[in-house]
Amino acid sequence: MIEADIYKALGDPVRLEIIRRLANGSSNTITELSKNLGVSRQGARKQLQVLVSANLVRLLPKGRETAVTLDTTKLKVAGLFIAKLEAQWDLRLHALKKLVQDDPTS
Amino acid sequence: MQNTIQREIIINASKERIYRAIATPEQVVLWFPETLDGDLAVGQQPILGFGEYGKNQIYIVQATPHDYFAYRWVPGANNFIGDVRSVPNTLVEFRIYEESSGSCKLVLTETGFAELPSEMMAAAFEQNSGGWDFMLGRLVTYLQP
Repeated sequence: MIEADIYKALGDPVRLEIIRRLANGSSNTITELSKNLGVSRQGARKQLQVLVSANLVRLLPKGRETAVTLDTTKLKVAGLFIAKLEAQWDLRLHALKKLVQDDPTS
Repeated sequence: MQNTIQREIIINASKERIYRAIATPEQVVLWFPETLDGDLAVGQQPILGFGEYGKNQIYIVQATPHDYFAYRWVPGANNFIGDVRSVPNTLVEFRIYEESSGSCKLVLTETGFAELPSEMMAAAFEQNSGGWDFMLGRLVTYLQP
C-alpha cells in the first residue's frame, strides 16, 4: 500500500530529517546521517531500516561505510501507471462520444 | 500519491443516449470492451473481454438511469477473473450532467490508487502495453469512414 507505507515511514521526526538530508544531498553515509540526529548510530540504523522497508531508501555497503540513497522508483511507477490509465480513459471516452453522436437514436 | 483519476468530455447527445451507451451490454461493447459476458445490473459480476489482451471480471456497484453508473475492477490487469471485492481494486464512476447548451458533460472518475500495491502497478506497467494497443486499434476503427 504505497501511500500508507510512505506516510508511516515519514511519520517520525528522525526519519523525516533523514529524508530531508538525503534529498538536499548534504549527507549520504550512515555515519554522516547519524550526526546531530539526537539518536545513537544504532538508533539511526534502525530508522533507516524502516525507510528501506518502505522502499524509500537504499543501503549500499561501501568499504567500511554504508552509502544511503533515496529511491524514488516506487513513486515514479505509480505516476506512470496513472498517466497511462488517464490516456486510456481519454481514448475510451472519445470512442463513446463518437458512437453516441454518430448514432443519436439507438 | 494520487488517489483519483478524473476525465471529462462534452458530448452532443442526450443523457438517455449516453447512459444507454454505458449501461447496456449491446452498446458498451461498441466503445469499451470487445465482448461482455454477463449482465450490467447492480450486484452482477460480468466479464469484460479485450480480445487477445485478456479478460477482466468487474462488479457493478450502482446503476441510476440516466445519471450515474459505477463498477469496481482491477485496473491495468491483463486478466482478472474472480470477485474484485476480494482484492485491491478501484471504483470507476460515470456521471452524466446536462449542460445549458443541450449537450452533456460526462465525468469519469476512478478512485483507489493509493491503496493499490506498488507491485501491481509495476507489473501492469511492464506487461500491459497490450491495453494501450487495444484501445488505439479500436480508435482507428472508429475514425475510419
